Amino acid sequence: MLTASALRRISVSPMASKPKPHRLHQLAGTTALHSSAKRARTMSTESSSTTMKDAFAKYADYLNHFNEKRERVIKASRDITINSKKVIFQVHRMSRLNKEEVLKKAEKDLAAVINQYISRLVKELQGTDHWKLRRAYSPGVQEYIEAATFCKFCRTGTLLNLEEINATLLPLSDPSLEPLKINVLDYLLGLADLTGELMRLAIGRISDGEFEYAEKICRFVRDIYRELTLLFPLMDDNSDMKTKMDTMLESVVKIENACFRVHVRGSEYTLLGSSDPSSFLLGLPDSEL
Amino acid sequence: MKAAFRNAVSFITHSRSINPNPPPVVVSLLPLISIAAVPSPSPSLLRHTRLETLRPFSSPLRRYSMAGSEAPASASLDKQFEDIRVQLEESGSLRERIRAIVMEIDSSTRIMHSSLLLVHQSRPLPEVLEKAKVQIDALKGLYSRLAEVIRECTEEYYRYHGDWRSATQTVVSLLSFMHWLETGSLLMHAEAEEKLGFNSAGFALDIEDYLTGLCFLSNEMPRYVVNRVLAGDYDCPRKVLNFLTDLNAAFRMLNLRNDFLRKKFDSMKYDLKRVEEVYYDMKIRRLASEDSTENHGTEEVPAVENKLFSVSNINLQNFSRLLTHTLSVRFCVGVDRRI
Repeated sequence: MLTASALRRISVSPMASKPKPHRLHQLAGTTALHSSAKRARTMSTESSSTTMKDAFAKYADYLNHFNEKRERVIKASRDITINSKKVIFQVHRMSRLNKEEVLKKAEKDLAAVINQYISRLVKELQGTDHWKLRRAYSPGVQEYIEAATFCKFCRTGTLLNLEEINATLLPLSDPSLEPLKINVLDYLLGLADLTGELMRLAIGRISDGEFEYAEKICRFVRDIYRELTLLFPLMDDNSDMKTKMDTMLESVVKIENACFRVHVRGSEYTLLGSSDPSSFLLGLPDSEL
Repeated sequence: MKAAFRNAVSFITHSRSINPNPPPVVVSLLPLISIAAVPSPSPSLLRHTRLETLRPFSSPLRRYSMAGSEAPASASLDKQFEDIRVQLEESGSLRERIRAIVMEIDSSTRIMHSSLLLVHQSRPLPEVLEKAKVQIDALKGLYSRLAEVIRECTEEYYRYHGDWRSATQTVVSLLSFMHWLETGSLLMHAEAEEKLGFNSAGFALDIEDYLTGLCFLSNEMPRYVVNRVLAGDYDCPRKVLNFLTDLNAAFRMLNLRNDFLRKKFDSMKYDLKRVEEVYYDMKIRRLASEDSTENHGTEEVPAVENKLFSVSNINLQNFSRLLTHTLSVRFCVGVDRRI
C-alpha cells in the first residue's frame, strides 16, 4: 500500500498517465516484499534465511529482466550504428555529376534506418527511464545523428536541428506514451562526429574541383566548432566530449589548410591570367611604392 | 641576386612566423625587393606572388578563421545552440543542487559511520546504536529534500542518479549493519526504504544500490568478528558465519553483469573465508562451543567435523579445503601433545 501511495505521489506531476522512472524496480520488488519483510523480524534464523532467499529471488527476477532489456538495447544500438555508417559512406560517393542520385539513395537508406532499427530501439526504451540505459544506446543514436545531419547538410547546406530529428522519430512512438526524444547530449556528441565526416567531404570536394563547396563546408564546420566550444563544459560527462573537441579542432584545421592551399594557388592562377605585373603590390599602402 | 632574394624571402617569412605583427624593418624591406624584381617578370613573379599571398596569412590559421567569421553564421544556428546552452545550464544547476544535498548526506553518513565504529571497541551495543540512530532522522530529512529536487525532473531520474548513488550505497550498508546488530537478520529492501522515509517522499531505492550496500556490509563483518572475539564474545563468529553464508547463498541466485556490483560480490567470499577462519580457530580451541550452549541452551554442540559440514555446504571445494585445514591442525595438536 505504501508503494501504491508513493506511486500516486510521484504522479502529481502533470504527466500523470506516464510510467515513472522508478516504477520498474517498484514493480520488481517492493510491493511483494513488504509482507515478507515483516515476517522476518518475528521469526527465527531458520526462516530468515528462506525470507532472504525469497527476497533475492525477486531481485534476481528484476536483474534478469533488466539485463535482457539492456542486451536488446545494445543490439539495436549496434544495428543503428552499422546502418548509419553505410548511409555516411553512401554520401561520400557523391561527386559533382551524381549528387542528386547519390543523396536520394542515402536519404532512402536513412529512412530505412529509422523504420527498421530506430523503431526497435524506441519500442524498447519507451515507457522506461531511458537515461538508465543511455550508455547502452548512446553510440547508435550518435551515429544516426551524424548520418542524418550529414545528409541534411549535403542537401541544403544547413544544420539539422534536434527538434527536426525528434519530429522524424515521433511517428515511431506509441501515441499513448510520452514520445521518446533524443537527448541534447547525444545530439551534441553526434555533431562532434559530423565534423570528421565533413572534413573528408571537404577534401574530396577540393580534389573534385568544387572549391566553393569546400569553403562552405569550412565555414559550417567552424561555426559548429565555435558553438560547441561554449557548450561542452556544460555537458553531463564531458570527458568524452573533450577528446571529441580535440579531434574536431584537428578536422577544422585540416579543412582550413586545404582551403588555404587552394586559395593560394587560386590567386596564382588569377595573377598569371592578368597581364598587369604590378598587381601583386596591391596589398601595400601607396606610400611604400 | 637570386640567392640573395631567396634569403630575403626566407628571412621575411621566418621573422613573421616568430612575430605575428610584422616589425617595421621587414615592411621597409619589401619595396626594395619588389622594385628589384620588377624588370624580370616571369620566374620570380611567381615567387613574388607567393610572398604576396602569404602576407595576409602571416599566422595562417588565425587570420584565415577571422576572415571566415565575417560571413554571418545563420541566425537559426545560433538560436538553436543558445537554446541548448540554456537547457544545459539548467540541468547543470539542478545537478549542483543535488550534489549539495548529497554532500550533506555524505557528512551525515560519516558521523553515523564513526559512531558505529565504536562497536569494534566493544562499547555497549545500545549506546552505540542510539548514537548512530540519531543520524537516521537527519538522513530522512535530507532524502526528502533530495526527492523534492528530483521531482522537478522525474523523467530524468537516472540522469542524476549517479550523483547520489554511492552515498546511498554507504547509507544502506550502515543501516543494514545496525539492523543486523539489533535483530541479527538482514535488512530487506522495503525496510531500508521505509527507514529512510523513501515511501512518503516518493523516492525509490534502486535494487542495485541496495545490493551493493549489502556487499559493503559483508566487508565490515570480518573486522567485527575479530574484535568481538578479542572482547571475549566467542559466540559471535558462529552467528556471523551463519548470516554471511546465507547472504552469500542468496547472492548466488543473482545473475550479475560484469559491473561494479559483480566485483563487490566477488569480494564477499573473502569476507566469508576470513570469518570461517576465525570460527575454526574458536572451534578448535573449544572456545566457541561452551559459550554457544550458554547463550542458546537449545542448541547442541556439534562435533567439529559435523559443524564443518553444515556450515560449509556452499561448495564442495571449500569443504575439502577446510577439512584438510582442520586435519592438519589436529595433527599438529597431536604432535604437540606427544611432546
